[in-house]
Amino acid sequence: MFPNVDGFHWTFGHILFLSIFFAVLLTVGFTAATALARMMRNLRPKKVAEIRWHTEFEDLPASDRQCRHALTGAAPGRVCENGFECRHCADYPKFSGTAPEPQGRLYHRGHTWVERQPDGTFLVGLDELGEKLIGAGAQVELPAPGTRLASHDVAWRMGKPGNTVRLLAPVEGEVVETGSREKGWYLRVKPESPWPDLRHLLGGAAAAVWLDREMERVQALLAPAGMQPTLADGGVLVDDLPKAQPEADWHAIHGAMFLEP
Amino acid sequence: MADMVSTLNRPAVADREWIARAQDRCSTSRFLLWLTPWTLLLAAGLYAAYLCLRYGLHQTNMDNRFVFGLWIFLDLAIIALGAGAFFTGFLLYILRWKELKAVIATAVIVGFVCYSGAVLVLMVDVGQPVRAWFTFWHPNTHSMLTEVTFCISAYLVVLSIEYLPILLKNRKLRKVPSFLVFEFEMHKLMPVLAGVGAFLSFFHQGSLGGLFGVLRGQPFAFREGFGIWPTTFFLFILSAMAVGPVFVMLVTRLVEAVTSKRLVRPQVYQVLARTSGLLLTFYVLLKTIDTLVWLNSTSRQAGYRPWEYYAWEPFGTWILFAEIVLLGLLPALILLSPKWRARPGWMLAGALLACAGVVLNRFVLTIQTLALPTLPFEQFLTYMPNWQETATFLGVIAYGVIVYSLSYRYLSLFPQEKELAREGKEASHVS
Amino acid sequence: MNAETVERAPRRYGMVIDLDRCSGCGACMVACSAENNVPPAHPQATERTGITLLRVVQVKDAASRGVAFIPMMCQQCGDDTPCMTVCPQQAVEVDKLTGVVEQMPQRCLGCRYCMTACPFQARFFNWWDPEWPAGMETTLNPGAAPRMRGVVEKCDFCQSRMHAAEDKAAMEGSREFEYTPACVEACPTRAIVFGDLNDPESDVSRQARNSFRFLERLGTGPKVYYRSRRPWLRTLASRVGAPPKKENGNG
Repeated sequence: MFPNVDGFHWTFGHILFLSIFFAVLLTVGFTAATALARMMRNLRPKKVAEIRWHTEFEDLPASDRQCRHALTGAAPGRVCENGFECRHCADYPKFSGTAPEPQGRLYHRGHTWVERQPDGTFLVGLDELGEKLIGAGAQVELPAPGTRLASHDVAWRMGKPGNTVRLLAPVEGEVVETGSREKGWYLRVKPESPWPDLRHLLGGAAAAVWLDREMERVQALLAPAGMQPTLADGGVLVDDLPKAQPEADWHAIHGAMFLEP
Repeated sequence: MADMVSTLNRPAVADREWIARAQDRCSTSRFLLWLTPWTLLLAAGLYAAYLCLRYGLHQTNMDNRFVFGLWIFLDLAIIALGAGAFFTGFLLYILRWKELKAVIATAVIVGFVCYSGAVLVLMVDVGQPVRAWFTFWHPNTHSMLTEVTFCISAYLVVLSIEYLPILLKNRKLRKVPSFLVFEFEMHKLMPVLAGVGAFLSFFHQGSLGGLFGVLRGQPFAFREGFGIWPTTFFLFILSAMAVGPVFVMLVTRLVEAVTSKRLVRPQVYQVLARTSGLLLTFYVLLKTIDTLVWLNSTSRQAGYRPWEYYAWEPFGTWILFAEIVLLGLLPALILLSPKWRARPGWMLAGALLACAGVVLNRFVLTIQTLALPTLPFEQFLTYMPNWQETATFLGVIAYGVIVYSLSYRYLSLFPQEKELAREGKEASHVS
Repeated sequence: MNAETVERAPRRYGMVIDLDRCSGCGACMVACSAENNVPPAHPQATERTGITLLRVVQVKDAASRGVAFIPMMCQQCGDDTPCMTVCPQQAVEVDKLTGVVEQMPQRCLGCRYCMTACPFQARFFNWWDPEWPAGMETTLNPGAAPRMRGVVEKCDFCQSRMHAAEDKAAMEGSREFEYTPACVEACPTRAIVFGDLNDPESDVSRQARNSFRFLERLGTGPKVYYRSRRPWLRTLASRVGAPPKKENGNG
């Protein structure tokens, strides 16, 4: 490697060859170091939550990434590429005029909902289908008041031993109070701004269509292969699905319905 | 009762925490049962490798004439087949063939297994493995082997870094914030690594061909070339690029068959098959020209006439026919024709023949070259690998199967798996 | 390499072997092994795994019913020496002052690429640990280092002897020296002539003028020449004609 050590001598070939080799090694090392440096820079809770949602969203099948306007029929078949964040959507202005801002309960695609309270706080809960999917008697792990949540962040966990599900925060803000299944809501969240951006949530007609589709999905997932969906007539689901159908792969079903990989 | 049956077929609770929710994987005990024979094979391989390292290479059937045997032949073969890693990466990240995202993880793992396996075998194959670093310290830049050593070790580093994000995406590992963010950032830089990988692969695949092409002392292998590179340099690159994609396809199809699942959409296979067909046709054309030039000019200048090489059984002219027509032109046409490759059976046959052709090419260049006499009074010699050589290599195959099986179970290799499973379920409802 | 030796005019050592004089007695092989500390062959060694830096091959000609013996060793290729160009770590070098192709076992990785590159089958791998019967170590030549298991070795025109001669001359205050490789010395029929091919007056240069080399058309520029009055031997060496049928083995 070094001239005059063990009779070694440099030639033009060595200089060319070794410079290319070390350039390659440097490129590889520099790339890895860049990724490491960017990792260090991004290790802030809010950023981590954002990245987690981004990667998980990327891995969702197209059928789970339906654009809200695809649900209402304004843009059939359109698939979202922006993590459901309409504010990042290039086509947002095209659609913004067509639908009024939804009111009332707004749904996250992970089956959590948010409802604005008169005092400016937001109640966060799990929708009816979500409750039925998890079933009665689940252990609930709620964040302590004071915890800061980001949108699509893990808000709380619940489930039975061996199968705990994480639920995604529909809104960003600070947890001010915790609820329970009996109260009908799980978290009271106070956002930084009184009017937080909620464009990633579904409300009104879009939410209704989406909930219908989710219901169909559950039935398809629950039906053993080769059998017709059990509730094709539009019947009502039992309250505790895991108890009613213990042989189903609840691990996978929960993953699909609560968007957990 | 139904509950008991279904839980028996599913992974144990502690095990399943590591498996992505959407991935339907077999029970823990069944997986361990699958791993057992491979682990035994790996243990046998490690024992054989130990014998060679501890007592010396006389433990093999190699000799002063057959200085390269089964190991070098199969190293060349698996490195050619592992070219799918760099080529798929190049097509996906540089040329932006988005559909190849469906198989990139498999391509990277197959490449990683092939290259690390080859390097492991090489470490047993050389007489003094602890001196391997000498090549970096006193490199002879005129040697093709120097280029191979440098490029393969650098590329193995690249492949490991490419494997890392796939590994970190594991369900449990991704819960660690730094792993998650590193994977995300690394993924954004993948085109750089894909470019570096393509550059390195281009040179070492070529140099592996050059390894034999430069041997003036072996008229059977020697080829004229361009500049410092003999024609085999370019033929190796081209043939490796041609079989890389179909080998990735074969591995995926094999996994689909073993697990009885659909993992990749047929359109992706079509893309892979078409790419291979195109490159293989080009390769067969150049290989034919190269063979004609070699037999009629290069080798005649050295005083050897074409029929001399093929006068020794079992290496008659059939081997030339098999390499160029049967395992070259035929699969190239099958993969090139949209009508034929649309049929899964034909496409599979084409892929198998193409891979066999390149493996035969590596065999001819290593084993047949050494079997043929160069000195007028030397004899034609034959060689058979003994159990130590075979076991070491089977051990590497077992290592590959184990690494891939673990990856398949615990990592998400097929982004289309979820959708295909859902579609399969829906289709079964409709019927 | 020190400055003193550089001043010497470069030599180009070569050999001429008269095949008509060689009786195939094998004395050269014995002398070679003794000089170079080649260990006794391992009990399991075959003719394909043993080490014969110099081997004598018997060849026959069916038409003339001729028999000849060909001493074959490293031919010290001088043009783009095949083994030197392929070695990945410069364990093979051609000495500019002697033209001898030198193998450095202490730098050899044992990849054996050089062995595939050599058209003369003149390179040998140490498949076993070198072992001498008890007491025999005392007979080893102190001038030649034994080679370990896992490295390649070959004939180097008895560099051990050359260095000894060089040292002796230096002790006497001279830079001029001559030496004779072991095989040359041992040959009872004086079939081998050794010397400097750069010196047109030397025996070796004169005899080389009317001689042939093996596999000359490969263009590796061997520095070992062969002589014979038998035409079939010359034909055999240049490989013009069909290869002879398998009749004989190595050594």
